[in-house]
Amino acid sequence: MNNTGPKSKASDGKSPSLEQLQALLLAEERHKLAILREEVKRLDQELHTKEKLAVRVDPIVEDHLQRLHQNFPKLFGPVITDTIRYQIKNAQNEMVDALYPIIGKLIRKYIAREIEMLSERVDRQLEKAFSWEGWKRRIKAWFTGSKTSDVVMQGLAEPVIEEIFLIEQESGMLYGSYSRTKSIDQDMIAGMLTAIKSFVADAFKKGEQDLESIEYESYHIIFRNFKTYYLAVVVSGVITAAFKDQLEATILNFADKLRKNAMQKEQGGEDVFSTQLEQFFGQAVDGK
Amino acid sequence: MVSKKVILLGHFGVGKTSLIRYFVYQRFSEEYLTTLGVKIDKKVVQVNGQEVAMLIWDIAGEENQQKVPASYKLGAHGAIYVFDVTRPSSYANLADEISHLQKLLPTIPIVLAGNKTDLLSQDALAEFDNRFKDRQAIFTSAKTGANVEEMFYSLARQMLS
Repeated sequence: MNNTGPKSKASDGKSPSLEQLQALLLAEERHKLAILREEVKRLDQELHTKEKLAVRVDPIVEDHLQRLHQNFPKLFGPVITDTIRYQIKNAQNEMVDALYPIIGKLIRKYIAREIEMLSERVDRQLEKAFSWEGWKRRIKAWFTGSKTSDVVMQGLAEPVIEEIFLIEQESGMLYGSYSRTKSIDQDMIAGMLTAIKSFVADAFKKGEQDLESIEYESYHIIFRNFKTYYLAVVVSGVITAAFKDQLEATILNFADKLRKNAMQKEQGGEDVFSTQLEQFFGQAVDGK
Repeated sequence: MVSKKVILLGHFGVGKTSLIRYFVYQRFSEEYLTTLGVKIDKKVVQVNGQEVAMLIWDIAGEENQQKVPASYKLGAHGAIYVFDVTRPSSYANLADEISHLQKLLPTIPIVLAGNKTDLLSQDALAEFDNRFKDRQAIFTSAKTGANVEEMFYSLARQMLS
């Protein structure tokens, strides 16, 4: 359509009078059309210029976000609950691996507080005792500046970490180990420990439950199980609540580090894991 | 050095423990085999210039491999199925036993070993060789040591390839 004004007969085949008639009849429409063209051009510019579009759209988006923020629990709560429930049901091991260090720390904190309170109660009871041993303990505690209950605990055989093994769950292959005295081949111990665990699991068939410890005289093997691996900590001496608490904390920190680094055997190899075990548990192993 | 888990399976009395006894110098007491149903030994071998620590799980013999706890077999990198060439019952269900093992551990190499060849004549051995040609069985004798090392090394090579 041509609306640019009168044209000569030679150019479009219309007579000048017809052109004039058209101009008279369509003047108003042509004017409106020109205005609309300008408006479309302006809108097009707004649509394709980020800053200009943002001025128009931002308030609307912000308004929606504000409403979403206010109504999020109501709108998405059930969906999130269902998703978590589904994940817990179908990926229990992954969930446990992710949550174990966090939940473990919370529980440990609570238990530590309870033990502290119990220790204080025991301490009060011991203070009341008038036996010769009681007097001896009190004198020692007075000289050393420690609690009487701590002195009582120190009298027992101190727990020492003798060996630690980081072992793959399924195969029983050794990822890494740390030992005070390497007497027997570590790979073979790792395999046998896994065989014992498997044997117990098969013999008693208690679902997802795992063997947690083995005791023989003053030696203890403490197992802590994770999805793809487990830790076996060999401890000699009497395990006190404080020692167990400290050990649990170290295991949790170690597990947390492994999880964060998403470490695989291929990435590190046995030496890397052994070094990490030494870093985490070395002080305790050396009894410093 | 790489470590590999190897499992030895087969009926009771086919000679699994004797084969390991011949091959391995680092061994646990065999009492574990009767108490736990498994015993683990270790041997470090050199294959293609690489050191391989073979952790050999000697699993107590069962007539039916499905009775062996799956947890003992899981995570294995290789398996040796041993049968007694003088006892047909030990290889009568060979196909089923191997098939069961392949279902559980589909990607690992499995070596088939016919043991106690010292009790066979040359003709009988040749017949066995022909019979198990398709399965590429290795015929061993834990008594004389014939092919024992070859059997373990063959598996080690397959595990590395």
